[in-house]
Amino acid sequence: GLRRCLVSMDMRHVVESFQEIKKAIQAKDTFQNVTILSTSETLHRIKPLDVCCVTKNLLAFYVDKVFKDHQELNPQILRKLSSIANFFLYMQKALQPCQKQRQCHCREEATNATRIIHDNYDQLEVRSAAIKSLGELDVFLAWLDKNHRENSA
Amino acid sequence: AVPCVSGGLPKPTNITFFSINMRNILQWSPPEGLQEAELTYTVQYFIRYGQKKWLNKSECRNINRTCCDLSVETSDYEHQYYAKVKAIWETNCSKWAETGRFYPFLETQIGPPEVALSTDEKSISIVLTAPEKWKRNPEESSISMQQIYSNLKYNVSVYNAKSNRTWSQCVTNRTLVLSWLEPDTLYCVRVETFVPGPPRLAQPSEKQCVRTQKDQTSALK
Amino acid sequence: DGVAILPAPQNLSVQSTNMKHLLTWSPVMVPGEIIYYFVEYQGEYESLYMSHVWIPSSWCSPTKGPECDITDDITATVPYNLRVRATQGSETSAWSTLKPPFNRNSTILTPPGMDVTKDGFHLVIKLEDLGSQFEFLVAYWRREPGAKEHVKVVRSRGIPVHLETMEPGAAYCVKVQTFVKAIGRHSPFSQAECVKVQGETLPL
Repeated sequence: GLRRCLVSMDMRHVVESFQEIKKAIQAKDTFQNVTILSTSETLHRIKPLDVCCVTKNLLAFYVDKVFKDHQELNPQILRKLSSIANFFLYMQKALQPCQKQRQCHCREEATNATRIIHDNYDQLEVRSAAIKSLGELDVFLAWLDKNHRENSA
Repeated sequence: AVPCVSGGLPKPTNITFFSINMRNILQWSPPEGLQEAELTYTVQYFIRYGQKKWLNKSECRNINRTCCDLSVETSDYEHQYYAKVKAIWETNCSKWAETGRFYPFLETQIGPPEVALSTDEKSISIVLTAPEKWKRNPEESSISMQQIYSNLKYNVSVYNAKSNRTWSQCVTNRTLVLSWLEPDTLYCVRVETFVPGPPRLAQPSEKQCVRTQKDQTSALK
Repeated sequence: DGVAILPAPQNLSVQSTNMKHLLTWSPVMVPGEIIYYFVEYQGEYESLYMSHVWIPSSWCSPTKGPECDITDDITATVPYNLRVRATQGSETSAWSTLKPPFNRNSTILTPPGMDVTKDGFHLVIKLEDLGSQFEFLVAYWRREPGAKEHVKVVRSRGIPVHLETMEPGAAYCVKVQTFVKAIGRHSPFSQAECVKVQGETLPL
């Protein structure tokens, strides 16, 4: 189909991991009038052809930026964030064969969508941006689940 | 409205959205220790996470009940929302009690399907209809929850009253025929919708029982 | 930290079966003293990007026994570093680190337990509850020459599931293997079990 490079994965545990810390993480985000992932329906408008590129870019956004910029002291939350971070690392590896076969091409729309997200991030103080991005993991996980399901359109 | 002294009352408690088929009801409990007092409540909602405005819900200003239907205001289920409520008693009012971030797409409960049973001598036909998304008014066109959740499935549970055994079956299509059943036997069916993904509360359908018809051959003898 | 007089635990190893992972080590013996152990882990993410970060194990920080169920800690299919140290009062041993790191994709998968029965003409199977990460590939066929094998993916665990409507007088056989999507691996198939309509379960 149009979507290539589907990563077959069991998302249940990573989604449950986030559900367990969602309230605590989102409560630390005091800027309710700003979003990182959800501005102008960025993710909702991604076309099937761009799913692989956006997946790759957003995994890198979280792995290389967000998790590093967040300092977590609570062991329970740290465990769940570690679970999610290592799951994203696994997904990055699962995408590598696809990228080598040049099936993860980035078109302009995908690059723009990623740039908007990075711009939103850079407009906030780094700790606030990191906690807000972590609080929006449910948006990203729901998008991953919907777009990497074998039978989804 | 006469301005009230904020913080003169404790905040309402247990404020949360109760959501089923995208019908989103804000509900809360009276402030601690004031369960019996004659309080009124006022609700505001955040137009949407990422926007800048708290708006009044006019139908929920100075109300006595402890719930408020915000389905219209939260109808774009792919976005996220906040709501808040404060208690008022004479010239005193509480600070706002606020919900966590509410994400209808992930948090709404999916109600049970409609279950239609028909039977003959040795089989039962089950026709399932997915629940409908909440709509503002009856004239609005219906949207099935299946259209929103394309991976929606049904867990059909069948109880044979004669053998006292239960077995289940997971199906995706709407019709299911149970054939080669025992004649003149009571079977009870209960169906639950579920969507793989984040854990969601589920409501099974009411148990429906039907008796297969008598065996015609033995009836003729 | 106390001075490391206490010997560090030795012989760290992980036994992993059906996605249950047990870290064991040789106990540190100090006559007449109670020894506690602390277990910590870091996933590949921590070792690559935050190598100073070690996370206390969910159930074994501290623990008395020379073993630790790390199943709830190993939650992604990447290599995990694990380390253990002993404490006795204020004395603390050095850390011992598992070599090589553990990856759950090495877990041993065994065929699941199953109970094949019938309710009238209906072939019903009940499968062992191995946890939410397990799916079951159920293969069943009518026991006759040239019979076609059918396969059904079952996710329900620990409850009877309807497999097939059988034809009178026929015998049907069933075998099952597990599939763990998180690591992309199957178990071997179980032994086949057969059921005859209107008759008792038949040995193979």
